[in-house]
Amino acid sequence: MAMTLTNELPPEAPVVAPDVSLTSLSEDASGRVLIDRAPRWWWVGFGISVALFTILIIQMAWLFINGIGIWGVEIPVAWGFAIAEYVWWIALASGGTIVSALFFLTRSPWRSATNRIAESMLLSAAPCAGLMPIMHLGRPGLFYWLFPYPNVMGVWPQMRSPLLWDFVCLLCYILMSVMYYYAGILPDLATVRDLAKTRSKQIFYGILALGWRGSVAEWRNQRVVYAIMSAIMAPMVISVHSVVGLDYAGGLTPGWHDTQFPPYFFFGAVMSGTAVIIMLTILVRWGYSLQNVLTEYHFNAMAKVMLLGSLMLCYAYVWEAFGPLYGSDVADKTESYQRMFGFTAPLFWSEKILTVVIPQLLWFPAVRRSLLMLFLISGGIIVGMWQERVMFTTASLEHNYMPSYWGHFYPTLWDWAALAGTIGLFLTVFFLFLRFAPIISLAEMREIIGQEKPR
Amino acid sequence: MKRLFGIIAVFKTPDEVRGAATRLRQSGYRAFEAYTPYAVEGLDRIIDAGSKAFLPLLMFAGAVLGAALAYWMQYWDEAVNYPLNVGGRPYNSWPAFAVSTFEFMLLAAVTAGFFGMLAASRLPKLYHPIFEASAFARASRDRFVICIESTDPRFDANSIRALFQQLGAERIEEVRV
Repeated sequence: MAMTLTNELPPEAPVVAPDVSLTSLSEDASGRVLIDRAPRWWWVGFGISVALFTILIIQMAWLFINGIGIWGVEIPVAWGFAIAEYVWWIALASGGTIVSALFFLTRSPWRSATNRIAESMLLSAAPCAGLMPIMHLGRPGLFYWLFPYPNVMGVWPQMRSPLLWDFVCLLCYILMSVMYYYAGILPDLATVRDLAKTRSKQIFYGILALGWRGSVAEWRNQRVVYAIMSAIMAPMVISVHSVVGLDYAGGLTPGWHDTQFPPYFFFGAVMSGTAVIIMLTILVRWGYSLQNVLTEYHFNAMAKVMLLGSLMLCYAYVWEAFGPLYGSDVADKTESYQRMFGFTAPLFWSEKILTVVIPQLLWFPAVRRSLLMLFLISGGIIVGMWQERVMFTTASLEHNYMPSYWGHFYPTLWDWAALAGTIGLFLTVFFLFLRFAPIISLAEMREIIGQEKPR
Repeated sequence: MKRLFGIIAVFKTPDEVRGAATRLRQSGYRAFEAYTPYAVEGLDRIIDAGSKAFLPLLMFAGAVLGAALAYWMQYWDEAVNYPLNVGGRPYNSWPAFAVSTFEFMLLAAVTAGFFGMLAASRLPKLYHPIFEASAFARASRDRFVICIESTDPRFDANSIRALFQQLGAERIEEVRV
């Protein structure tokens, strides 16, 4: 895959610019973390993020006082934004793991500069995903009943339910992602520790680096474990997002009860996850002036992954329309028709344009090289995927089997507050990563520089 | 006078450090260690890095144990402790238990690998005598460092200095603790 993703660039095209050396790389990248005063753009971005995050706090407080009636969810449409956004966030997170783990396994050189951004992104998105279903619970304080723990009530969770599988998946996924991230960043924290000038920073990063020295045994163990972890994370993330699909497929609702859901969800994750990584990479590259480390090479490769995701998703869309048409279930046909031409039609068609039609521009090399175009297309894809998740979550419930059980979903202001608030949480955590942890995988970049220099 | 921990030599390229390590090994030195900014290919064949199979096997053992524990817990919950008839399905409905078993298996493997990696590398170890060397700071950035420790039976400061110089060391420094 590494070959096909970058084959139109000349074979000697550098992954990193020729003026990057081991010295400049470490000092540049660590310097961002160790700088005494964060740059102005960081404060602006962080300020906006915290402001949005405050909305989430207020929203949650109001929600926990009043219950989920403050949202637009009602019978018959009992799954609204919260569940749709849970899927959306976990898809973004999954995309981070795919870029990070899958392309480590294919030994793609473009992965090294972007994997830390991808992993920071996924660790910022995962809490947003985890928060959504908890907020959606009628009694969020009792979410721990999902754990199979011995209790005086003698009640145990239903292990056969996809909803419980989903909880297990999400929990395992977050824990594994943290360990995967930490195993990868350990040597870089040591670099920051050794470059730190003030005592407090030396102690802070010294503790985080756990005393990493870069001895032969340390490197060998780290490389071995990291490679196996990558081989585990890649199928893991596919299974996580497939199980999210099973949440829906396990229901008997028309439009949901479909065997294609697990891969269908995963395709969307590939595309939207890559899209958010492209957007963040463009911003990080600009903010930290990393033009010589994050080159055309990386954007070109990621744009192709995104295009691939878009094509796979298109295949799923075709199947989603074809299934009810070919089948004989009247409810399926009605639901499908209503989805396309009824109440959700604007969402349906604009979403198809954003996620399938416009990304076809990525076939043109000039578009893949234009950061502005990439930024706009990626933004469109993320919005489109959000529409898609909301659309299929609500549209199916709006047109269930019984016409007497039909109704529409109208989001309230609090629904939008939850969306804005989780975006704030995501950005807040991401900005903290940006400030306190090296955002480029230094050890892996050094290997690439070491391989490129002799040429 | 502080105790001599060892003598370090600083090299500029991975090839030099690999050559130096080979030479030290051939000259009969045993207690030496290389500190590099990234995993240098082939260095682990010259300097003993412990068993290579240990961590993969540990992760495999973690996976097996994790899977067994997860399945047992689900079986015990659904078939023994709290049997609930859902649409006449068997109490021990293994296809439905497969997902959580799979996820927990992977979690256990990664956890075993993560903590195994730290344990095998003797981490966390916040202090090590090598940190006393001022030249060591660049070993996490752009220099390749070799340290011969004073515990080596053939340790002799003068001959080691001469050898390092011969090998083209950029800098030679004594580490005292």
